Amino acid sequence: MGEKSGFEAIPVGMEMGPLEIVLDEATVRERVELVQWENPEPVEHLHLAPPGVTIVHHARMKFMALPDLRVSIWAKSEHEFLKPMRMGSKVFIRGRVVDKYVKRGRNYLVSEYETVDENGEVLLRSRETGVYVE
Amino acid sequence: MEEALRPIAVGEEIPSLTKTAYMPIDPQGRNLIHTDEYAKNFGRRGALIGGSTLLSYVLEMLYNYFGQNWFYHGRIKVAFVGGGAIDGDVLTAHGLVTAVGPEEAGTRLKLDVWLENQDRAKVVVGEASCIQPST
Repeated sequence: MGEKSGFEAIPVGMEMGPLEIVLDEATVRERVELVQWENPEPVEHLHLAPPGVTIVHHARMKFMALPDLRVSIWAKSEHEFLKPMRMGSKVFIRGRVVDKYVKRGRNYLVSEYETVDENGEVLLRSRETGVYVE
Repeated sequence: MEEALRPIAVGEEIPSLTKTAYMPIDPQGRNLIHTDEYAKNFGRRGALIGGSTLLSYVLEMLYNYFGQNWFYHGRIKVAFVGGGAIDGDVLTAHGLVTAVGPEEAGTRLKLDVWLENQDRAKVVVGEASCIQPST
């Protein structure tokens, strides 16, 4: 029997990160511009990052942890918002592969992420299923 | 501080939100689905807009309605369907109230949410919910 391929070799339970993100003004505004967030309330009045600003980093964590990954396409995603993220603060994202399966010839990877603040308080919980292509 | 919202009934839509999809080239990006060449070989019309960007369009619609409550009580579960979205697509986020029920923190509204393109083809479908405090 040969060695397992990249997808087959990914252990369920594999951890990704933690990834530290500094939510400084430039970082938040860059993302706000990219997603064309127009409501000024969170950034201008509350000095909070708009909801979901860090979610783009989940894919980045997957690409960092899985060197054979060439394409990742979200099939499903689920998010629970628990506390706001303050501009100027640091947050940490911890990820974990929780499942993988093959459906209609495509490989799927299921991962969960928890975003915490500097005190370890959970701000956001996410579960994402994506098509995995090497 | 949580804001009081006007009562809304099952079957009503919250205000929709429309954006023209935009995805700049990311020179450091490794995900080939965001390139025209790979995406077309994969059967798509062109480089796909990232799922987190599509999600953010829906999240802004929800934030516009729920305000700061979304930061503490927002939940969303979506699937990415159809052929996805490409640069220049005109995308509209919708939210239709499907249930209203009491919880300790207030009244939770449940909604069907979706994002559709200029041809009314859905590219994101799912559910969301958030606490709406008593008025």
